[in-house]
Amino acid sequence: MKARTVRLWSVVHTWTSLISTIFLLLLCLTGLPLIFHHEIDELLGYAPQPEAHASAARATTQAVADAALAADPGRVLQYISWDKDEPGIVTAFTNSAVDGLPDNTTVRAFDAVSTKLLGPVGVGPMLIVLKLHTDMFAGQPGKLFLGGMGLLFAIAIISGVVLYWPFTRRLRFATIRDRASTRVRWLDWHNLIGVVTVAWALVVGLTGVVNTWAELMLNQWKATELASMVAPYAGKPPPSHLASLDDVVARARQTAPGMEVAFIAFPGTPFTSSHHFAAFMRGDTALTARLLKPVLLDGETGQVADSRALPVYLQALLISQPLHFGDYGGMPLKVIWAALDLLTIVMIGSGLYLWLTRRRKRAPAKSNAFARRAPVPS
Amino acid sequence: MHGSPDRTRRWIRVFAAPVLLAAATITGLLAALLWGTVGQYVAWVTVGAPVLVIAWVWVRRGSQKPRHFDRMLRGK
Repeated sequence: MKARTVRLWSVVHTWTSLISTIFLLLLCLTGLPLIFHHEIDELLGYAPQPEAHASAARATTQAVADAALAADPGRVLQYISWDKDEPGIVTAFTNSAVDGLPDNTTVRAFDAVSTKLLGPVGVGPMLIVLKLHTDMFAGQPGKLFLGGMGLLFAIAIISGVVLYWPFTRRLRFATIRDRASTRVRWLDWHNLIGVVTVAWALVVGLTGVVNTWAELMLNQWKATELASMVAPYAGKPPPSHLASLDDVVARARQTAPGMEVAFIAFPGTPFTSSHHFAAFMRGDTALTARLLKPVLLDGETGQVADSRALPVYLQALLISQPLHFGDYGGMPLKVIWAALDLLTIVMIGSGLYLWLTRRRKRAPAKSNAFARRAPVPS
Repeated sequence: MHGSPDRTRRWIRVFAAPVLLAAATITGLLAALLWGTVGQYVAWVTVGAPVLVIAWVWVRRGSQKPRHFDRMLRGK
């Protein structure tokens, strides 16, 4: 590789890293507790616990809906969801209006058998950490900004891999030159951590970027696929009365045999039209449990209106979520995720240190700058 | 990769381990998603491999330092 090419990649690596450094540190630091958010919520008492029951007969969906509305008088239901990892709990989302602001949503857990209110969901300190991680309390612009930082991170990783060759071509793999200066030692650690975690960092970084586009993708789906699904019902007003949720669930199951309801979106919410319920169905394998299939049902009669697989970009979004969260391989994978997150923090910190020390070294004598920038061992 | 055999050998020496680790990581990330419980076990080993490499380098450095110290004490 020519010196000029190395210099060019070095500039790309330095500036993409520097611009995104603070935000990447924020993402890594907030991402660390989020890996264990369920355990932390449980420890702090913010995770609702289902009651112990002798009978396993689950309450009807309508009974859960009635309990949710009774717990939040004067408000309306937006969604009811079932977590496959928490079979004893049903979660209900209420708001002042079906299209109310997300920040006004109240999320409560109910016992799946007795419909007893178990407590609020998504509250406590982890909510603050989550908001910092996803949008820095800046809403959609904040999300898109962090997505941009994620893209810079990906460019920094790729340019780092390109630079790995000129920096290490005369070294054995995993060499740490302990007898050299502190800067060289940290350069070796930076290179080693960077190159061994490259695949994980790229996957987590890019799936994070995809997640920041979730709202845009949903809007695109609504404007195209959903619009064509509800086109035959154009001009129909919002339902004057709602169909029985038990009918909605039963018909959705008939339409998607072998699948379970992941969540029901009420008419007028962002996940459906103003006239239809949307039941999002999931399979029972690790992969199909992530790939949801919407079934659209008439809001007044509960009749099935249409059902189609989600478009590729929304399926990509759904698959990208576990790959970003690391929550799909049990506790050992979570611990590995945390270790890789910590290594990324060390890599970012060491990169910053290398840049600062290089600036300090370059200050007294600006000549021969490249030789200092690329300390290729002889 | 159109240089001399020596350059090719050096390229392999530099990139063989990182490429293998990257392939292992990707395999593990997908395995847990596609192969259920067995995939989870695969993921623990393969996604954890980079962490093990770093731990191994760290431990190796730690165990080498006393040996240097011993050699210094022996005047070698």
